[in-house]
Amino acid sequence: MKAEVNSTGRSLVGQVRPETLRARQRRAGYGMILPGLIIIGGITIFPILYSVWLSLNNVNLTVNGYQTNFIGLKNYNTLIHVQAFWHSLWFTFYYSVVTVTLELLFGLLIALAINNVQKLKNLSVVVMLIPWSLITVISAQMWNYIYDGVYGVLNYVLQFLHVIGAPVTWLGTPTLAVSAIMVADIWKTTPFVVIIILAGLQMIPTEYYEAARMDGANSWQVFWSIIFPQLRGSIALAGLFRILQAFGVFDLPFVLTNGGPGNATTSLAILGEQVLFQELHFGTGSAVAVATVLLVLIISLLFLSAFRTLVTEGDSA
Amino acid sequence: MIQPKWRTVVGYVVLIGFLVGILLPFYWMFVTAFKPNAEIASYPPHLIPAHWTLSHFVEAFGKYGFGPFIRNSVIVSVSTTFLVLFFGSMAGFALARLPIPGRAPLMIALLVISMFPEIAVVSPLYVLLRTLGWLNSYQALIVPYTAFNLPFAIWILRNYFLQVPGALFEAAAVDGASIYRTFYQIFLPITTPGLFTAAVFTFVASWTEFLFALVFNSSNSMRTIPVGIALFSGQYTVPYGTIFAGSLVSVVPVIVLVVIFRKWIVSGLTQGAVKG
Repeated sequence: MKAEVNSTGRSLVGQVRPETLRARQRRAGYGMILPGLIIIGGITIFPILYSVWLSLNNVNLTVNGYQTNFIGLKNYNTLIHVQAFWHSLWFTFYYSVVTVTLELLFGLLIALAINNVQKLKNLSVVVMLIPWSLITVISAQMWNYIYDGVYGVLNYVLQFLHVIGAPVTWLGTPTLAVSAIMVADIWKTTPFVVIIILAGLQMIPTEYYEAARMDGANSWQVFWSIIFPQLRGSIALAGLFRILQAFGVFDLPFVLTNGGPGNATTSLAILGEQVLFQELHFGTGSAVAVATVLLVLIISLLFLSAFRTLVTEGDSA
Repeated sequence: MIQPKWRTVVGYVVLIGFLVGILLPFYWMFVTAFKPNAEIASYPPHLIPAHWTLSHFVEAFGKYGFGPFIRNSVIVSVSTTFLVLFFGSMAGFALARLPIPGRAPLMIALLVISMFPEIAVVSPLYVLLRTLGWLNSYQALIVPYTAFNLPFAIWILRNYFLQVPGALFEAAAVDGASIYRTFYQIFLPITTPGLFTAAVFTFVASWTEFLFALVFNSSNSMRTIPVGIALFSGQYTVPYGTIFAGSLVSVVPVIVLVVIFRKWIVSGLTQGAVKG
């Protein structure tokens, strides 16, 4: 029996034309990506757009739903005339910049110091990952007890060392409460920065150091000419991610101070939660949410080129 | 590399000081969970407990009903982890290996989305869940957690799929094997480490999440561990002994995960995609 042939005389069997394969792959690709994208879009992008709509309305929760009543920019007008909003904006910004800067600085110094310690590696990694994996609310309760003004161990230790004369109410004084929350954040996140920077340091070939030493470079020169240029990318990226995360800070102030004393530690997220779920002003609360999104977007756009480098690096790897 | 002796000494001093600094607050929580109430509220504090007691553990699970919090957290975190691995591995594979237009902008978009603070979506999600009658349900947390953890998982898994030699894929494709079979039978087994990494990150993120859990599942029977612990402090005094007893029980499984999967966690942390 003759094999089936087409007009050009070549067998159809066992031959896949490149375009068809590509088209088939593309179709399968859409099928594999779409479910994930629908979930992500439905739970992140759609709600963000919807919160813009809510922020332009007066929203009333009813028994089994809600009513909207379009009022234009009124919620934003309310917001910009409330001092608490500007304060939470300032607090969130200040908190993010200070904690992230200190975390990166401490992380870099510690990583440089311990880079050449050969022993205790497994133990160190496990210990450094403990704060990262700890539920933030648990670490907040832990610090709550440490900072306690009546029987807190911090007062005891500082009095023992003669740093302070009388017990201090750490969480009851505005400036001290801000610092206390920052310390809790730094405790939780510095180990994580150390791990990232250590990994970066370990990827620098030892020949680089040896060559620099042969040329008579001192430690300072080695750091600026070899170590820093190699680490710059990962430090910048870690810093960006951390800043964006810090913008959402909620758990620590919620447990430690509930935004107080006064509104000293009210972050944007704390303010949003209060307006939404304690005052039940869904329109104004959504305006706070939209303001937060705008801030995050502005920062992300400023760093867009950094993101782009990351994608291309991944492709060439 | 030969290095001066003083630097080794400094290295050890810093390392040990650092590890002690991490562990000291943790030590304080640990011993407090075993102290009688009188000692917990004493000043000056007993740095080492004079008496040890298990009464706070009994109280946490009896009077304060900590058991259901753990059950809720396990159900939510495990379901989320499986969903994220299922959807994330498919999408990661497609973005790494299949000729889809606009892959680079899509990856950037995912990265930006994964950075949005939860407060940004909490109000619309709340009205939506409330209208659906989904408040105080497992899906009220599982669905948002899946969406929030997927972008990072896709990133991690895509990186792993990129490392599999392209020749392997072409060989399988020319053989006429279906793309889905290639994915399940060839790629997925090779990239198990990537799956571990994505799984641990998703699990820890779901286990520790607070804002959604607080506002979507506030009824006592649906609370997860973080909400239970945050709202413990009720009446007149904060029951620290009980809080820390419950905390320790919920910390143990995660520390076991960290010990087992530490290599994959570190590799996930250092892949440029950094999540705290």
